[in-house]
Amino acid sequence: MQEDTKVIVQVDKTVVKITGIEVKGLNIQQLEEILTDKLKSLIRIIGVTGTSIEMDVYGIEEEDILREEDGLIKAISLAEGISVSDVTSLSSVKKIKSVDINSIPDYLEDGCKGERWQNT
Amino acid sequence: MAEYLINKAVIIPTGDEIRSGIILDTDSPMIMQVILSINSKCTVIRNEPIPDVENLIIECIKSYIKDDVDLIVLIGGSGGGHRYSSTLAKDYTHTSLNSILDKKFSTELYGKNGHMWSKLICGKVNNTIIINVPGPYQEARAAIEAFKNSYEENSDDLKQINVSMAEAVKSQYYY
Repeated sequence: MQEDTKVIVQVDKTVVKITGIEVKGLNIQQLEEILTDKLKSLIRIIGVTGTSIEMDVYGIEEEDILREEDGLIKAISLAEGISVSDVTSLSSVKKIKSVDINSIPDYLEDGCKGERWQNT
Repeated sequence: MAEYLINKAVIIPTGDEIRSGIILDTDSPMIMQVILSINSKCTVIRNEPIPDVENLIIECIKSYIKDDVDLIVLIGGSGGGHRYSSTLAKDYTHTSLNSILDKKFSTELYGKNGHMWSKLICGKVNNTIIINVPGPYQEARAAIEAFKNSYEENSDDLKQINVSMAEAVKSQYYY
């Protein structure tokens, strides 16, 4: 017995990457709370390496995030497990591009619709 | 009410960043707390974090199925983010579960850009219920609490458990 359901969540988000940091023992929940308080919007950390953090920022435009660069770096420095330096920066700030959900190609097992849509 | 209790449960975090200690695993203690609120006598095992390698995840799950545990909860690796950003890790939890589960229900959550954020699966092998939750803490908490409520309502209705968990995760994105 197998059944699969698909749900589209209609929200805007911008993907932000911060590089030039050192990360060890990071409490993501704490960092999300700090950034949410700073930006007054929903934040989700989606990727962490030893030298970078990637996050989804919901409901804020790219230019508004870039304007807050210094404040954002100062805010993340408050989180336990992160060390910032002179080379810390927002290396990427990209708003997602919406697609016509109705035109997404047919489902393939374990595939990602966005990936297939980009290839059409 | 649930027809049987969860007497033995296993929590399996996945992800290289968890394993290496770059980020703290705050999900497992929270999930353990929720499981214990279902049955305070439950034995809960937190497996060591599994690397993002499909075969390792599959073998780990199979070993606990063999031990006849009542519940396995996989954490993280439920999305498709690596296809959007080359720096994000590949997500193998749902592909691993797909290869193991015969009886299963799944719900995929997509953003408006068409990328899959999360695929939640609820299935069963022998007497073992297997579910996955997203890695982000708030979504993981919403999902496991929805599992608890739905499980206590009807432990046999895997479809409803899956739908409830997906709805709970989806609700985290309305603000």
